[in-house]
Amino acid sequence: MVTPMDASLLEVKGVSKTFDGVVHALDDVSIAVRQNEIVGVVGENGAGKSTLMKILVGVYSPDKGELYYRGRKVPFPYNPKEAAKRGISIVYQEKGVIPHLKVYQFLFLGYEDKYVKFSRLQIDKMKKRASQILEELRVKCDVEDFMYELPLSAQKMVEIARAILSVRLERTDADITPIIILDEPTAPLTVEESRELSSDILDMKKNASFIFVSHIIPEVMEFTDRVHVLRDGKLVAHYDLSKEKITEEDLFRAIVGRESSEYIYKPEVKKVVSEEVVLTVKNLTKNGCYYDISFDLHKSECIGIFGPAGSGKSEIIKTIAGLISFEGGVLIVKGQEVKADELPHVRLARGIGYFSGETGKELFLNWPIVKNISIVNIEKILRKFIPVISFNAEKKMAEKIMKKMRIRAPSINTDCYSLSGGSKQKVSVGKWFERSPDIFLLEDPTIGIDVGAREDIYETTLEMKKSGISMILISDDPKEYFILCDKIMLVKDGRIQKVLSPDEFRKVMAA
Amino acid sequence: MTIVGPMVAAIAIIAGFQVINPFFLRYQGIITLVYAMSYFLIVACGLTFVIMMGSFDFSVVSLLKLSALLCVLYIDKLGLLVIPLALLISIGIGYINGLLVVKFKVPSFMATLGVSVVVEAIAWYLSKGFLHIIYDETFRALATTFIAGLPSIFYWAMGIWIISTFIAMCTPSGRRTYAIGGNLIGAGLSGINVKRHRIYVFMLCSFFAGLAGVLYMAQMGGGSMEIGGADLAVAVFASVVAGGTALTGGVGGPHRTLLGVIIITWIQAGMLMLAMGRDIQMVTFGLIAVGMSIATIDRRRIKIIK
Amino acid sequence: MKIVGRNKLITPVIFQTLKTHPVILALIALFVIFSGLYPERFLTPLNLSSILKQFVELMLFALGPSIVLVIGSLDLSFVGIWMLGGILVWLLMPILGMFSILVIPLLGLATGLLIGVIQVKVKIPSFILTLGLLVAYWGLTAVLSGGYPRSVRQYAFITARLIPYLPTAFLWSIPIIIVAVFIIKCTRIGTYLYAIGSNEEGAHLAGINVDKYRILTFTLSGLFTGIGLIILFPHLGCTAPIELKLNNVILPLVAIVLGGTPLVGGSGGPQRTILGALTLAVVYRGLYLSLLHPATIQLLVGLLLIISIVVSTRGLKGVTIT
Repeated sequence: MVTPMDASLLEVKGVSKTFDGVVHALDDVSIAVRQNEIVGVVGENGAGKSTLMKILVGVYSPDKGELYYRGRKVPFPYNPKEAAKRGISIVYQEKGVIPHLKVYQFLFLGYEDKYVKFSRLQIDKMKKRASQILEELRVKCDVEDFMYELPLSAQKMVEIARAILSVRLERTDADITPIIILDEPTAPLTVEESRELSSDILDMKKNASFIFVSHIIPEVMEFTDRVHVLRDGKLVAHYDLSKEKITEEDLFRAIVGRESSEYIYKPEVKKVVSEEVVLTVKNLTKNGCYYDISFDLHKSECIGIFGPAGSGKSEIIKTIAGLISFEGGVLIVKGQEVKADELPHVRLARGIGYFSGETGKELFLNWPIVKNISIVNIEKILRKFIPVISFNAEKKMAEKIMKKMRIRAPSINTDCYSLSGGSKQKVSVGKWFERSPDIFLLEDPTIGIDVGAREDIYETTLEMKKSGISMILISDDPKEYFILCDKIMLVKDGRIQKVLSPDEFRKVMAA
Repeated sequence: MTIVGPMVAAIAIIAGFQVINPFFLRYQGIITLVYAMSYFLIVACGLTFVIMMGSFDFSVVSLLKLSALLCVLYIDKLGLLVIPLALLISIGIGYINGLLVVKFKVPSFMATLGVSVVVEAIAWYLSKGFLHIIYDETFRALATTFIAGLPSIFYWAMGIWIISTFIAMCTPSGRRTYAIGGNLIGAGLSGINVKRHRIYVFMLCSFFAGLAGVLYMAQMGGGSMEIGGADLAVAVFASVVAGGTALTGGVGGPHRTLLGVIIITWIQAGMLMLAMGRDIQMVTFGLIAVGMSIATIDRRRIKIIK
Repeated sequence: MKIVGRNKLITPVIFQTLKTHPVILALIALFVIFSGLYPERFLTPLNLSSILKQFVELMLFALGPSIVLVIGSLDLSFVGIWMLGGILVWLLMPILGMFSILVIPLLGLATGLLIGVIQVKVKIPSFILTLGLLVAYWGLTAVLSGGYPRSVRQYAFITARLIPYLPTAFLWSIPIIIVAVFIIKCTRIGTYLYAIGSNEEGAHLAGINVDKYRILTFTLSGLFTGIGLIILFPHLGCTAPIELKLNNVILPLVAIVLGGTPLVGGSGGPQRTILGALTLAVVYRGLYLSLLHPATIQLLVGLLLIISIVVSTRGLKGVTIT
């Protein structure tokens, strides 16, 4: 993929990176950032965006690749400080904040050398400079506050201030244009704050460039001048939004790699929703996460909850699973009202099973496949008269599931660590298939796995649905919602915006 | 870590000492070893369950001491009822351990350390520092009755070991313990009442420690505050990790601990034979404990180690 | 957005300090209680002097571990450095004369360095590592000492009486404590240590070389322990002990936790430990005066350890404890 090189400020060519010699995080990726522009880097989770950014800031070093600054070849920075000298700094999506540091300490973290005299920190000077930049960005907080005391949006703004400050402190000459990388920055921000941030960034565009990392299409379309699309570690598309006429559909297709006409695929089995209500959610509220969530889940129905990062969808499903407690509202499972702080095992006893595609979340990676499948189904493999495990029954169950899910592994005794992502997911889904919970919660079920495994998982999930299991789906892949769901709820900022049928959803996504 | 490592080590040690001193495995030697190993194995089995679960119990040796002293101090007044007394108290302290970790969120190392200090203080107060002797023959017979050439405590130990292994490998309860050690959140999501189970395991461990204390007193016939101590604690811990039960939890088990106990007690016997003092023994066990911890830690799981 | 301001008035500042340092209340309360219970014995210059002596012992042992606890790790090797250091001084006395006491800070430095490097390379939890080292040092001490506690009387002058009723050891300890607090509070190193303890991954992402600072932390701990021991050695009788008393390990830890340094790291530090050590010293002397059975005192120490950890972890929500 060749990207235009005229007036490019920063360019990476042919970057590759593997982890543990196995996972190809990046494969021959090239992107360019020009002077005074906002460049988008988009892709699904696991596409390689974060890795690429970390390479640019010096947290990782690439296995292969070249870096050019204003046309001259330069070495890759080997730590964030070096990157800041080159004008590159980053605002991380998560884990960037250090809770126990005070605001001014965090702002200067790693760049204090200008403020050190005989190994003593010049705290007053630091605080003064900190106040300056916070004022500049209209961040309302005191430099003496601890980071954990600030609301999430303020924390994010401080992170942005830090990124800008670090470049200003470190750059060796005024000629260097800051390149600020923003990794999903709007997630914790309210609508108003996002708008303020957008206008601030557009202001700063005059003397800085930005790399905007996201997987939310509307934002990218609105904000960026050019977009690079990553998929599975490779650069698959590049669009110049100022010159070309691109629709969200085009972008979506590039990110997901599938034809939108595939939206048309909708197996008949979906139309089996019954009248019986298995789960009722009324005015469910948790401050800071979601507000007034209400819906009914029927038997054999699959409801999807769709929204951008930070919309609360993950918290909602985790609340139903028992991982998070709710503060207001009512949750009724199969006619019984449940307590707000029930633990997951109690929810499971009520018939709610939770599956997360995030590796290692609920799978026991150091266990073989057979044990992972049996742990949720222990009652089924006990001997007749004594509560002791029957290894034979266990083995048979595992073999049955392995065959059904078409899991590709040497045997049922293979450790889950060594399985591919898709196989791991299949083990999880398989164990839940065996367990047949009344309500099956799926969060990111097919994240980062290949098409073949996806199809197998969809097939099994639909089969479970047909057999009477109700489901709630959370995912970043709109196509999944279309295939599996009967009803899709759109959430933003913790509230339900709209409830759509799959066809309506498809139209909204394609618009 | 597979079972091959500890097995090879155990065999090598046995063979090694046999070479050094061909008379090592004579009858007398075997009896001494059995006496050293038996109560040790019981405590180690209990501790194994806690470590399998991913926690730590520093109070086992103190509980052994308290339990033993309770027996010797009150056997005159209570007769054989001291045994259930000691066991009940041990289970109770195990419950407290569990409560501290689960309800009050105190790290298990610290919680059991604190409890250990308290238990030691109680033992000190009760025993008043003196040496006490048991004269009750029935009590002593618990451990010292010879059946088929071996003292009864050996059969106790073997029985406990078999039961422990069975629980760990073949029961849902054992599976849950491994699950909690393997993935705490995943265990809850798989339907395990994690809080309740962790308390059970602490109670089980303390029960074994108490039982070991009772049998130890039956075996020794007397004791004082000298029982146990930091070096025993190190040795017990070393034997659990030497067998291959990793600190990260979720792996190993009592079947491995037998090997670890063999390794440690044989090294101990051998060192005694070579006239190496308690100090060198302790250094060795400390190093083995650290070394085996390093070797067995599942580095794939823990990215940040403090 | 929330607006948080800070008043410059005295009263709110005191209130704020008390809120974040509840141990001050405990200290004052206990002092008053014990003064009330045993007025003739507690408020005497002799007793107050003993409190300060106890404080020195607790503080200088707890100083190193306080620093390590900031990054969330545990360092239990300090008693080992005392034991082994003492024996080495005894052994080297004939050869190096009065300079042999300098072997203790060297040993502390080397120990800290060793622990740090092993931790970084092999990634074993610090409490096991330092515990193992403690045991190893204990064994070495026993071997080198031939089984008897050894005295080196020549250093008794370090803590010889200068000002009546004010322990000289206390005077010597002040500069050491000040340096430690300075490093933690006023230098970059301190900020980085808090960062690592608070969010190690975030610190790494911010460009901090976590491994380097980990090693540095343990090295500083060993060094401070070693330097503190130059004073502690004569303070505690000029003798290298050969018995490992668990109390010597636990009491400094209690002082640290009591002071308000959480076990998970990210906050607290030596400045907090000052308060904790002072409070514990008051408690210990108070209980000693009460003529309670030593076993009971021991029991209370254990309970105090547990209670102070429970109280300090109450603020931690969502942290998984194993």
